[in-house]
Amino acid sequence: MVSPDGAAPAAVDLGVSYAGMSLKNPILTASGTFGYGQELEGLLDVASLGGLCTKGISPARRSGNPSPRICETASGMINSIGLENVGVDGFLDAKLPYLAGLTRAGSSVWVNFFGTDFDGYVECARRLAEGVAARGGGVSALEMNISCPNVHAGGLEFGTDPAVARKLVRACKDTLDAAGSPLRLLVKLTPNITDVVALARAVADGGADGITLINTLSAMAIDARKRRPRIATIFGGLSGPAIKPVALRMVYQVHRARVPIPICGIGGITSGEDAAEFLLAGASCVQVGTQSFAEPGAAARVLAELTAFCRETRVARVADLIGALDTGDTRPPACIT
Amino acid sequence: MSASAFTATLIERIELGPHVFVLRLGGCEALAGTQPGQFVMMRGDWGRDPLLPRAFSLLAVLPGGEVTVLIKAAGRGTALCERAAPGARFSVLGPLGRAFPAPSADRHDLLVAGGVGLAPILMQADAAALAGHAARCEIVYGARTVADLVLRDACEARTRTHYSTDDGSLGTPGRVTEPLAARLRAIAATGAPPPTLLVCGPNPMMAAVRTLAREHGAPCWVSLEGEMACGYGVCLGCAVAAAPGAPGAAERPYRYVCKDGPVFPAEHVEW
Ligand SMILES: Cc1cc2nc3c(=O)[nH]c(=O)nc-3n(C[C@H](O)[C@H](O)[C@H](O)COP(=O)(O)O)c2cc1C
Ligand code: FES
Repeated sequence: MVSPDGAAPAAVDLGVSYAGMSLKNPILTASGTFGYGQELEGLLDVASLGGLCTKGISPARRSGNPSPRICETASGMINSIGLENVGVDGFLDAKLPYLAGLTRAGSSVWVNFFGTDFDGYVECARRLAEGVAARGGGVSALEMNISCPNVHAGGLEFGTDPAVARKLVRACKDTLDAAGSPLRLLVKLTPNITDVVALARAVADGGADGITLINTLSAMAIDARKRRPRIATIFGGLSGPAIKPVALRMVYQVHRARVPIPICGIGGITSGEDAAEFLLAGASCVQVGTQSFAEPGAAARVLAELTAFCRETRVARVADLIGALDTGDTRPPACIT
Repeated sequence: MSASAFTATLIERIELGPHVFVLRLGGCEALAGTQPGQFVMMRGDWGRDPLLPRAFSLLAVLPGGEVTVLIKAAGRGTALCERAAPGARFSVLGPLGRAFPAPSADRHDLLVAGGVGLAPILMQADAAALAGHAARCEIVYGARTVADLVLRDACEARTRTHYSTDDGSLGTPGRVTEPLAARLRAIAATGAPPPTLLVCGPNPMMAAVRTLAREHGAPCWVSLEGEMACGYGVCLGCAVAAAPGAPGAAERPYRYVCKDGPVFPAEHVEW
């Protein structure tokens, strides 16, 4: 909302509420691109961010895929890390203490998790919730990655079938409720589907508190001279600025369909203006992913730029940008300039 | 020593050979303590494509907050570096990774370089010379042809240098393993213990050197190049397989070039 007198606001209110949590600002970092947070200490003020999402945790530790695991593509990269992680116990023992400190400093800590089968997801949610509670808290939400291959369904991703996704989310939600856990359950959707709205409705029905959109796009790259795929597993996940238009479209579709839970937008964000685009499309907060590789301080810069953007465009509260896209019938401004 | 992220300015680009050049960068005070073998992640002011920074071992730390890196233009990022003009800005993250073992009076080192793998090798020779151990190391330096054997004066100014070229245009004809094998035999003939090999070059070259090192019972360290997106341990892209016999290989089947390396004992990793 433009402040009534048209003057630049003295201070921008950056706070947003998301899935029952209050975030001090809408900028978080994406799973798999920010380690467990501690790796970034000294490279940016981690506690200044709205929050962070950890590398995906599975019940047992995993050592990941053979190399090459990554390759660069036009304005992006493809990865096939293989969901390598320290496992629930390793996370609780070695990573949680630092993250609890961030929570005390007012940042929102989300733990991304997954299983390789149905029971694995439920077990992971239960053990994380119990383990965090037993250690006095320090985490605000679990972000469930349903883009994983289901080993019992021929490797098909869990998140491609709305009925399966609903059931899986419901089972994890019931487990958290049974444990009396205060943790929010957020569900991160795969973009590798035709109808994102159907999937978003399904996870909302299943009891999710929020939707994270999007995970990486299934992709491949080829070295023509060697006649070889560029990564060992042939297929991987595309991320970076190349995917931003796809991510924006999906966020907007889910927002426009009035799915009754809020959205966290991800995909190729490299600037404050990129973040503003996601908010306008209907996201309540965003995550910065791949850009942190190129620039460890990326998320802090995006936050500073979003603040400057609000000031410049006379937005007093960043929350006023959420879903404020104007699709009116005037001709859009030129974009190939 | 922990890494810093900062902006450096290109002072000068020095052409050395076909698509081989040195960038001299200012504003790099944070890299003052960089040890030979450590590296930086570097990216020019070139928009969103190519997206990722490039890893370069330092060639030298100079007074006045300057450093040099040695680059061969081999892809999109390095080609952009080749076109950079003085005044160009680079975002830099470093120093990163683990260095070669520090020069020591207790060892005799053969510093083995292939092509632009020379950078950390020359920096190591520099450190040895500075520590008064120049006589305890030799450089063995190979490339395709004499034009690719850049910075020969700098090598020779520091210590004894042996060359090889694939086309025989300078030094021993053939691969770098030719003069290296000759040196290993000569040292063995004196009854001295096997020297330590510190190696940086293309992967097949380092594998051939490792085989030679095994035959001679020589300890061998290699500086690996991995596919790096971040350089600081969060992308997990730069995994290399741990050798079956490496310590902890069962629990940790992969090592990370950026954190555990880039310098590894050759017997600890597969590449
Ligand atoms: C190297 C890498 C590892 C990732 N690991 C995970 C993961 O463990 N769990 C997950 O839900 N998403 C993971 N992602 C997806 C990101 O969180 C994010 O959804 C995606 O990269 C799109 O955002 P970006 O374009 O800003 O990177 C990973 C992405 C990359 C590049
Ligand atoms: S380059 Fe990212 S973890 Fe090593």
